[in-house]
This record gives sequence, C-alpha cells and structure tokens, in this order.
Amino acid sequence: MSDRSTAAVDKSSVLRGLVSTKRVRLGSEIYNLLLETLYDEAAALDERRFDDWAAMLGEDITYTAPVRLTRVGPNRDRDVARTMMHFDEDYNSLMMRLGRLKKTAWAEDPPSRTRRFVTNVRVAEAEAAGEYEVVSYLYLERSRGDNPDNESVTAERRDIWRKSEDGFKLARREIIVDQSVLSMSNFAIFL
Amino acid sequence: MLHQPGLVLSDGVSIDDLINRDMNEVSMRVMSDEELYRHEMERIFAKTWLLLGHESEIPKSGDFIVRDMGEDNVLIARDRAGQINVSLNVCPHRGMRVCTAEAGNAQMHRCIYHGWAFRPDGSFIGAPIEKEQMHGDKRSKEELGLKKARVQLYGGLIFATFNIDGPSFDEFLGESKFYFDQLFCRTDSGLELLGPPQRFVLPCNWKIPGEQSGSDGFHTLTLHRSLMEGGVMGGTPESIYDNAPGMYGVDISCEQGHSLRCLEAAQTFKMFSNVSFEGKTLEERLNLLPPPGITKDLIPQLFKNLTPTQVEMLASCPPQVGGMFPNVLVAFIFAPRTDGGASGALALHTYVPRGPNRVEFVNYIFAERDAPENVKRDMLQNSIQQTGTSGTIEQDDADTWPAIMRNSRGAVSKTMTLKYQALTGHQKPDGWPGGGLIYPGFTKDDTQWNWWLAYYRLMTQAA
Repeated sequence: MSDRSTAAVDKSSVLRGLVSTKRVRLGSEIYNLLLETLYDEAAALDERRFDDWAAMLGEDITYTAPVRLTRVGPNRDRDVARTMMHFDEDYNSLMMRLGRLKKTAWAEDPPSRTRRFVTNVRVAEAEAAGEYEVVSYLYLERSRGDNPDNESVTAERRDIWRKSEDGFKLARREIIVDQSVLSMSNFAIFL
Repeated sequence: MLHQPGLVLSDGVSIDDLINRDMNEVSMRVMSDEELYRHEMERIFAKTWLLLGHESEIPKSGDFIVRDMGEDNVLIARDRAGQINVSLNVCPHRGMRVCTAEAGNAQMHRCIYHGWAFRPDGSFIGAPIEKEQMHGDKRSKEELGLKKARVQLYGGLIFATFNIDGPSFDEFLGESKFYFDQLFCRTDSGLELLGPPQRFVLPCNWKIPGEQSGSDGFHTLTLHRSLMEGGVMGGTPESIYDNAPGMYGVDISCEQGHSLRCLEAAQTFKMFSNVSFEGKTLEERLNLLPPPGITKDLIPQLFKNLTPTQVEMLASCPPQVGGMFPNVLVAFIFAPRTDGGASGALALHTYVPRGPNRVEFVNYIFAERDAPENVKRDMLQNSIQQTGTSGTIEQDDADTWPAIMRNSRGAVSKTMTLKYQALTGHQKPDGWPGGGLIYPGFTKDDTQWNWWLAYYRLMTQAA
C-alpha cells in the first residue's frame, strides 16, 4: 500500500519521460507512423470525431493524470503525486464520458473549440513486442463560447501504443500536467 | 431592539438593499462587487471557522501542508508532541512566505529571504548570526513567532480560525452536528484522505459555488440532466420533470448556514435494485444498502460510534450532499458503477476566494481508513469521475458559475435579483430524530436562504 498522506514523498514521483532505452530513431518508419497517429488523434479530438478517437483506444487502456505538488529541498523534483489524479480512467469510464458527450453535457454544449499542439515526440520500444513508449508534449488551447480569453493547458504525455491490424491502439496514457493549480475550469475535454 | 451596525458601501447602498429579507432576494451585484469582497475577507474569512484539510495528510511529526484561509496563506504543521498547528505563512520579519512548498516534512521552517527560522508550532527559533541579535531588542522572541490560528479537529478534519475569542467550534456547528457526525465520526479509525487535493481556479466569485453548496438540490434536475440520463437518479430523461424521485427527501439546516440533503434510503434502494425495504430490521436495511462509503464489515462500527437515532437515520434517510457555511461542499453520495460496484464517493470541496473574480476549487477525496484497498481504489475512481476537475457532474457547474458572474457586472444586470422564494418552511416530520431547521419533501430554496441569512449576520457584525 502506498502512503497516501499529502506530506509523504512517493519514490515513483520523479518518474518522467521514457523508461525503455531501446530508442526508435526520429525519422524511422515506426517513428513516422506513430507521429502520424498522434496527429490523427489530435485532429479527431479537435474536430470532435469521438467515434474515431474511441476506435484508437485499446480495451485495456489506462488513462490517468496525476496531480502535481510543489516541494522544496532534497525532494524538489518529486513533484508528481500519483496517489491523486485529475483523470483515473479505464475503457468503460472513457466510454461513459463519451456517451455523456452525445447526450446532455452542458460543459461541452456549446462545444469548446480546441487546438492540440503535439510536439517533442520521443519513441522507444516497450517490453512487449509491438508496443511502443511514446512521450510527447501537449499544448492545448481551448475557446469557450464568445469568451475572448482562452484557457490552456500544457502537459507531458507518457503513452504506450500497441500495433494492431488497423493501426496503433492506445494502451496507456499518463498525462503529467504542469500546473499544481489548474487554470482550466474543467477537464470536460480529453488530453 | 438593538440597532444592527449594518454595512453601507461607499455609494450609499446598504447590505439591506442588497439582501432583501422581506422578499428573499439577493441583488446580483453581490456576486462580483469588489468593496463587498474586501468586507467578506474581514467579516467572514477572518472571523469564522474554515476547513483546511485532514489530519491524515500530515501523520508524522514535522509533516506540513500549506493552504489558504480566504487570501491568508497558512502553514499547517504537526509538531513533535503530535499537535496540529495552523500559523500564518508570513514571516514576521519582512513578510515573505516562510514556506514555499505545498507539502513536506520539516522540523524547522527557515525563511529564504533573511533566514528567520520557526518550529512547526510557529514559535520563533532565531535569526542567523545569533551574536548580532538580528531580531533586534524591541520585541522578545516569544512575540516574533508566526501568527497562530485557533485549531479544531472534527472527525480528523482540520478547521481553523483567526477569530481567537470568537464562537467555539460547537457553536459554529450548532444543531447540524447531529447530522455531520453521521458522515465524519462514524467509524473507529475515521476517514482518510486518498491523496493531495485536486486544485483548479474558476473565473467566478466564491459565493456562486458557496450558495449552491447551501444544498441547492433543484439544479440537479436540469444542470445535471446527464445524471438522469445515466439512470442513477431514478426516472428517465423523458420523464425527469414528471418523475424525479431523487429530488424528494428531507433538507436540514441551521441558523449558522450549514445544510444537508437527506435522501430516503428506501427510495434510493428501489431506484438501484427494485427491492422493497418494508418489514426489514435496521441491520438488514443497513446490509442491503450500506450508506455511501461504508462496507458491510464497517456496519458494526456505526453502532459503536453513533447514537441509535443517528444509525437509524443513516439507514433510513442518510445525509448525502450539502455544505458548511461559508465555503464547504459535502458530497457523500451513492455511486453505482457500470461494472456493478456501488461503493460510493466521498468528497469535500472548499471554494477559496482568490479575488472578487476568481475562486480556487479544492477537491478532497476520502474513504474510510478501515475500508479494504479495493474499495478505496474504487471510491477514488468514483470521486474523480464524478466530482472535481474532470468529474462529469461538476464539469457542468464549472461552466455555469462564471457565466453568472459575468452577468453580475452589467449596469442593469447587477440590479437584477437572485430569488429564493420557493419555500417549504420549517416543519419537523413526526418522530424526526434531529434538531435544526427541517424541510421535508421536494428540495426547495429554504436551506440556501439560510445560507444567505448566515452571510447577512456575519457581514453586519463590525470587523
């Protein structure tokens, strides 16, 4: 059991980026295909083609977003608190969220206009054959209604994508947001 | 009759103009007025008890967290004797934040500016270069500690106030204690916070979520229509306005402004599984439908920690959602899951003012400490999926509140009023076990109006 107390330091909390050292080089075929997949995914979400997005998800997906907690001194870099999350999802709960968006969800009706910028993509071979660790930076701008002030979020995404017959499926995503206090008023959108 | 000191703003408008106690109306100007906001910081947030966290966040000597009481930043630290202290996070030397982290463990908090150092209990250790006595000779070291707040633990929840001679915590809770005990003080080991709170800011005045937490049940029906569509409130999307079983129950509140919606367990149970409660004993009923967050193994502990009438109420009409004046929302709710589980979701929020136009939403997610790990895991997921940052219920609130505040700024709009005129009136059902102000039936505006009366009372007391 992990120590859930706010004051405690979680040893895994420094974990960022790629774990595997088997890098897949930028420009290689696999890298290009994964980059294209990330672009396609961002477009599906920005264009609110949620069925297309759902088709990219593995049925064993875990989709999480830990909170950040500012620390100082020797633990200053252990600032990812994986005991608490902004998202803590599996396939069923993501389908529940998508189902809600098709019915009444005032938080997205009228819908947000979003723009997802995906950059700094790094890829490595994961342990299982045909699976790849993909780390990317996400910068998302979100416009609501006639409000001229956008809300934005920046994050690192630690994914595992699995090769399948019809393209890659997302098997894991951990979204490490940069803010300890989010300036976005809700996550009725996906990151 | 004594004349109230009242409150008059610089343009001559008085609090009685803004809060019309004959009509049960509140001027929309209240939802963004800057002058009023400054008074609120002094007359409410520096005067009443405020929720700051839970003792399970800082179990060890030296553990600390940093939170806010209104716009006053405070250090909450456990000292060597095990006591929890709440001190202003303001260096008495030159005003720097003494602690720049959000959490950690330290037996000494040294200000990074000039190095004045303090213990977890706020007492002053000294300034660097002892022989030069850099704290001067006009004040003793005893006078130079961090400014301390009064602290009260209730069910492990950490409350504090800078109103040193003000009302006791029991006076603050009043007759609502009987009901809140059923949520916070019902098991041997009590609640456990499952991780650091989610925090995010919304562009709206703190009172918009604040008054909603005064048990606005009615908005559930329309704003949270997706709950009906998900089938968890009884009724169907087609019939929600004709048949809304989840809207009926007993609302309770008190003159201090706290309130809770208590929903009939028999009704809830029928909605979930279509089995009748009739003829079942108290224990059988508790086992059929344990209150949110309680597992069957924990049921004997309810009898140990609560009075028989409190247990009877948990079994028949458990409090589920509501709030504590001024800025706490309580959601201890049933949460049936698509995978068949129904362990519930236990969440408290504080709405911390960050200026007249901004509020920080702090979401604390709990489970009973003695619940099994798999239940805690399940409850964490329930709470995250329903409340707070990404919660499918509260997403809709977060999108609505800022629009209300924008409306409160127009020269004409600000003179419009918020209306609390759908009233049941206090009527205690026969045999109702608890005190306070009781409103049975369809959830109406009474409890939210009591929230405004509590607001009025504090705002008309000179700071």
